[in-house]
Amino acid sequence: MGSSLRSFIKDVRAAKTLADERSIITKQSAKIRTKLRDDHLPLERRRKYIQKLLYLYILGEKTHFGQVECINLIASDEFVNKRLGYLSAILLLDESQDLLTLLTNLLNNDLHNSNKFVVSLALSTLGSLSSPELARDLFPDVEIILKQVQDPFLLKKALQCIAKLLLKDISLLEIFAVEDLVALWQNSAICTHGVLLGIVKVLQSILLCFINFQPTEAVEELPKDMIGKLVRFVPSLFKRLQTLNSKNFQPEYDVQGTCDPFLQCEMIYTLRLFFQIDNDEINAYMDKFGDLLTQIATNTDSNKSSGQVILYETTRTIFSLHLDQPLRVLGINILAKFLAGKDNNGKYVALNTLLEVVPQEPLAVQRHRKFISRCLHDPDVSIKKRALELTFAILDASNIKELVNELLQFLDGTTDDDSDLIVYTVDHLVDAFDIHTIAGDDWKLSVFLRILKCVGSYISSEKISDILIEINNTNNMQSKHDAVKQLLTETLENEKTNEITDDNHGWFLVTVWCLGEYADLILGQSANNIVNEESLTRLLIELHFENSLDNPKLINYILTAALKLSIKLTSGKCIDQLRDLIVSHKKDSHLMLQVKSVQYEILFDQPIDVRKSILETMPKFEKVVRTTSDLRNRPLGNTPTKKESAKPDSLIDLLGGDFGSSSNNINSNENDSKANNVGDNINPETTDAMGSDLLADLLGGNNVNTSLSLNKAVSNSVELPSQAQKIHESSSLDIYSVLINSENGSAQIDIYFEAKKNVTDIKCQCAVTKTLKLTMGPLHPSASIKEKEISVQTLKISGSGKLKLRTKLDFKVNGIMTNEQFDHKYDKVI
Amino acid sequence: MTQIKYMILASRQGKIRLMKWYIPLTQKEKAKILRNLTTTILSRKPKMCNIVEYSDHKVVYRRYASLYFICGITAEVDNELLILEVIHRYVEAMDSYFGNVCELDIIFNFSKAYDILDEMIMCDGSIAESSKKEILFTMSNMDVMENSDNLDRVLS
Repeated sequence: MGSSLRSFIKDVRAAKTLADERSIITKQSAKIRTKLRDDHLPLERRRKYIQKLLYLYILGEKTHFGQVECINLIASDEFVNKRLGYLSAILLLDESQDLLTLLTNLLNNDLHNSNKFVVSLALSTLGSLSSPELARDLFPDVEIILKQVQDPFLLKKALQCIAKLLLKDISLLEIFAVEDLVALWQNSAICTHGVLLGIVKVLQSILLCFINFQPTEAVEELPKDMIGKLVRFVPSLFKRLQTLNSKNFQPEYDVQGTCDPFLQCEMIYTLRLFFQIDNDEINAYMDKFGDLLTQIATNTDSNKSSGQVILYETTRTIFSLHLDQPLRVLGINILAKFLAGKDNNGKYVALNTLLEVVPQEPLAVQRHRKFISRCLHDPDVSIKKRALELTFAILDASNIKELVNELLQFLDGTTDDDSDLIVYTVDHLVDAFDIHTIAGDDWKLSVFLRILKCVGSYISSEKISDILIEINNTNNMQSKHDAVKQLLTETLENEKTNEITDDNHGWFLVTVWCLGEYADLILGQSANNIVNEESLTRLLIELHFENSLDNPKLINYILTAALKLSIKLTSGKCIDQLRDLIVSHKKDSHLMLQVKSVQYEILFDQPIDVRKSILETMPKFEKVVRTTSDLRNRPLGNTPTKKESAKPDSLIDLLGGDFGSSSNNINSNENDSKANNVGDNINPETTDAMGSDLLADLLGGNNVNTSLSLNKAVSNSVELPSQAQKIHESSSLDIYSVLINSENGSAQIDIYFEAKKNVTDIKCQCAVTKTLKLTMGPLHPSASIKEKEISVQTLKISGSGKLKLRTKLDFKVNGIMTNEQFDHKYDKVI
Repeated sequence: MTQIKYMILASRQGKIRLMKWYIPLTQKEKAKILRNLTTTILSRKPKMCNIVEYSDHKVVYRRYASLYFICGITAEVDNELLILEVIHRYVEAMDSYFGNVCELDIIFNFSKAYDILDEMIMCDGSIAESSKKEILFTMSNMDVMENSDNLDRVLS
């Protein structure tokens, strides 16, 4: 390499600042550009500038101006020019460029050059830069090399090149002669490992063409007899692979005592492709293949990394071909050995691969859970992540206790850096408790408390709701009592112990909720000097004080808890304090809190027996996945009442009723998730009169509107359902919406237009977030409605994301075009 | 089966010493990969595993002295562990060629480093030769031929 390249590199490296470096590079780049443009520059100097250009390429600079120049170098007769020319062509050009056509003739000539190194350069270049046109034009020239040349060096390159060209243009399969390949394969004099690598590569290309084949206009079908001709490779591949695998020592190809793992893996993969083709002749070899893989698995040394390479390839093949069960277990056991080892890469691939095979062989994988659990504590995040995924994949009723304990230990050891993993773990843990029924409420609740204590600040509100449901649904009152007692005691003692950090919102949310629901359990049986009426009241007040500015959600919970606690206390002083707490939000700028405060104050003034029945403990809650049809047909509060018929009806009203319908606006209750799940569909006529009236006024923020419009709508063909919620109002139209259903991936929303004046030609355009797809139905009964009439339009939404609507309305009032636009957010995510 | 998408040699400071792309990508995509990978990989601790998931594919890397060898590979097809052996073979070949190779050898003789790589990996990133001896033999033959060209020119 010339001294000037050297000095250029030195200059760049010696630059003290980025600006210096930049100026050196820009200067040099400009110089190269002008010099290369000079037609009289001798090739020797030209080479130097191209070399500098390549250095610019490595630095990530622009090099497009040198592209034609590489082609000029290739055109030279001297080897030194060709070598650099081809090198720079491969680097500076890529397969998508038009310039490649310039290469066709040069490559064609060089493929027939008498110097084998020139031919090899041309083959490498064609292999790297093969447009479909180049592939078609030059394929015969490469094929000639296969037929005529006996030099392994050229053969291996030609084979690699052919493999690439076949993939580039599938129609070349028509003219490719498999016989050439067979002849090479059988000629042991030329079969070096390089040539064998080339042959299996061509086989792989052909097999991939068949496996992925989709008929197109250009190629309607692939040559039928081709696979038949290839079958004979299968037994002889077995043989070669076996010999290679059992070979002891060949210094040239040895990698830590394993003979050419590269070739072994390529052969195994080729065989895998063979068996992916559904052909009777090939399938007849299936058993033999299984035997061979077993043999390889037992023969190969798993302590060496080179041996692991082959064992890993073997297991991948076993799993991907769904070979027999004993083989799969063998594969799993091999991977388990990786897990037990010290090599992190082995662990990573093992976890990854086991994850894929769990559905087929859950038990065999479970057997190695000790090693999997150990990986949870690995310092490497990617291994931890995989181990977590795998742990949840093998988790079932039989091992839940053991694995959950491991997971809790994992959570104990996590830091802030692992927040993604924590969220993942908690989400899946809560789901796991949902799916598997577990004996022993004690244990389950203690797990929840531990999770909350440890990582409560990371838990999403959705999962907090799930945890609340789990606590709520616990049948064993003693367990519930113990858990609540522990929760409250620890919170009260936190001033001293400081075990729970201030940002652990999850813990405090659950504490507040439990306090509201179950304070009586504790106060009745086992009040002591830590947990008593005064201390609980004080706790609420303190939490309220600490969070009143920045945590409206918690304040929400606190308000409800205060209301509920009030009926469980005997001390008049405490009750007054709770009342003050609630009333203090009557002028809150947060609308939701204000509404609640006002409503709760009214409730507070109800006679004690009314309050008691309304503020009963929550009934057992069942998560139900509902479909549209059963939603419409089912009578009021079906699911919860059947189970808990003893509970007063008013309870259901608290859960659902009008509250459900208005939950979008004032959804603020601790029952959020419940209200949405249980409520929504409650028909007003069946609700208990007292409860529904009372609650409608108390909790249904816009219920007045709803009932008004109901009255108005009586005479109409379309009626406004009771749960309709007003999402927009203007001087001429009121818009209501009902979320009919929202399930995984789809939702249906009805939008009701109620006219205040005579409105014609309503045109409604809606948009949803990008992750969702919206289909709109027609306006029913018509796009023109008279005063107090209603028209409805159905929106179907699919995809996933938050339900948000931007709606644009065009309509005519008295013939005058009007348009309006508004946004509405549902608190549902699909 | 081996389908390496790209091979990048980067120094501990994140400077690119060699890059080779086996799939066509735009300049912008390449720059993004280089930027993201160097930061991700340089920040990994020595005991971590050598496999990283990046966008739609995986990346296998190994550090030799001050130099990181980084390979983008095709998930599902490539054998991650085998790629580590490929990298090692390449390093071994360079070590023999340069005689105790160091980062500076590669910086100043990058075209030789490319030539060795091209003898070993071809086309769409597949292994063409597994023998170090064979690679070195070809290299020395080509070098001789290149020099004889030079010699011819001097003589004439």
